[in-house]
Amino acid sequence: MHPNAEMTVTHRRAKKPRSSIFFIWRGILADHYAMCGALILISVMIAAVFAPWLAPFDPTVSFPRLRLEGLGTPDHILGLDHQGRDMLSRLIWGGRTTLFAGITPVLLSALCAIPLGLVAAWNDRLGSVIMRVMDVLFAFPMVLLAIMLAAFMGPGMLNMIIALTIVLLPYNTRVVYVAAQQERNSSYIEAAIAAATPTPKILFVEMLPNVVAASIVYSTTIVGNIIITAAGLSFLGLGVQAPTAEWGIITSDGRQYLFNAAHISLLPGIAIMAVVIAFNLLGDTLRDALDPKTRLALTSRK
Amino acid sequence: MPHFVVMRLLQMIPVMLGVSFVVFISVYLVPGDVARTVLGNQASDVAVQALREDLGLNRPLLVQYGIWLWDLLQFDLGYSISQRVEVASLLGDKIVNSFILMGFSLFLVVAVSFLLSVFSATHFRSLGDRLTIFGTLLLASAPTFWLGILLLYVFSVKFPLFPTSGMYNFFDPGGFWQLVHHATLPAIATAASSIAIVTRVSRSAMIDVTNKTYMTALRSRGIRRRRLSYVHMVRNALPSFVNISGLQVGYLFGSAIFSEIIFNWPGIGLQLYNAILQRDVPMIQGCSMVIALTFVISNFLADYIVRALDASKR
Repeated sequence: MHPNAEMTVTHRRAKKPRSSIFFIWRGILADHYAMCGALILISVMIAAVFAPWLAPFDPTVSFPRLRLEGLGTPDHILGLDHQGRDMLSRLIWGGRTTLFAGITPVLLSALCAIPLGLVAAWNDRLGSVIMRVMDVLFAFPMVLLAIMLAAFMGPGMLNMIIALTIVLLPYNTRVVYVAAQQERNSSYIEAAIAAATPTPKILFVEMLPNVVAASIVYSTTIVGNIIITAAGLSFLGLGVQAPTAEWGIITSDGRQYLFNAAHISLLPGIAIMAVVIAFNLLGDTLRDALDPKTRLALTSRK
Repeated sequence: MPHFVVMRLLQMIPVMLGVSFVVFISVYLVPGDVARTVLGNQASDVAVQALREDLGLNRPLLVQYGIWLWDLLQFDLGYSISQRVEVASLLGDKIVNSFILMGFSLFLVVAVSFLLSVFSATHFRSLGDRLTIFGTLLLASAPTFWLGILLLYVFSVKFPLFPTSGMYNFFDPGGFWQLVHHATLPAIATAASSIAIVTRVSRSAMIDVTNKTYMTALRSRGIRRRRLSYVHMVRNALPSFVNISGLQVGYLFGSAIFSEIIFNWPGIGLQLYNAILQRDVPMIQGCSMVIALTFVISNFLADYIVRALDASKR
């Protein structure tokens, strides 16, 4: 994919160029921490996707006689909440909502930021306009901007996802912009210009693959943070709404019962923490695997 | 240096104008009619029209913004809809309370992460270093709202060492130590993730410094290891420590909103939350504007301090 580093190796051994997936896989195998992260993430993902089959109960069905029972209640390992709903089921279903609400804005904003950043790096005049607008958005603390936008748009999952996408946009755009500016002066772009390649083709065919890596690496480092923010917005009542199981909402539900049923508030936080740690552990490896300068070390370390 | 200050101050003007425009224009994100949304469905048409007039919604957009900005420059943020008082008069006290909380949190961030990173870097790859890194990983991944509740549960409910809410005792308010007592838990919750990030970054900055050739040169001249670590390593890693600490101010603003809500700290974050619950549009705008402006100014100050400490940029 990228010139230099890999070329010499592949040329000498006359092998096929290795794909990024190969390096990510090797990186995860070589690093115990990344392995832990991957395992946590895979199990949470499986739980989220197969929630209807894995959850022992319906997350909205209540057992009024057992309400507020703590950990270790027969048939309800993680206890029940203030309405007598099974906590384990609510956590499994909640993971589904929280992960969706946290990951979607990251993907959406990366999708919007790539064209914006590429155009900004290519055309100076347009670029300075785009980047000044981003500077203004940078001037807000991330959480404040998310809260303000979500508050004005009104509660709901869709509005929260839109708000988080806008909040992430300046960060993502700057990453793409910086990467694209470095690429812009490289010789393969000069060659493309000399060959009279149309500008859209230069940007989205020649330049894109080399810029995407930076965007992906940034996205993996930020996704944990956005999951926390999304859960936080729902905690404030600005995101997903009440009967739906969501980790932030469950935490906020349990606040009034801290004296006699603390598990309602404390369990979802542990789930959020596990997911965020997993993303952070994986992020480091992914960064090494996608950077042409460090990825070869992943294969030699074995 | 004065040149740098003037340049940065001039650069801040368009950014602040942009910020005010974003806060102003956000009202148009409210679905449907703002006045109708604020007053609810039962409100009479006369009341809605009066509020539209009051908010200036009947004028052209740019004129509205001009008037709003002109009022803003005179510290007039409009009338709170739910409390029928001037927004600006309410926010003064709240921002001071928030500053107190932020001050405690920033102090915690700087002190704790400085000590931790010096310890970690001087005990590189020891058990203590590994434990520190593991601890920062946990702290960096814990949501503030959850950490606040956990602290509240452990230190106020299980072991009632700290008060659950507020800034002072209700019956005999006052005193610095009472304030510290009330601020401890919210400040820890606010500072936690920033402590983790600052510790990690400044630890690696210090390890980088240890591997520099001038450190080898100093060692070869027979300078004691202790002096080497605690004087030379720390001094050379200081700019990156201050830099990353300065960048955390933004995060602190965000986390402070959550701690204020959980610990009932009468600051601007709690005010913002209550304004959202009451759909009090001018109050939401006022709070957002004040937080964003404070953020811009504190970023400038952090930049200035980094400049002043970094010998190569002086």
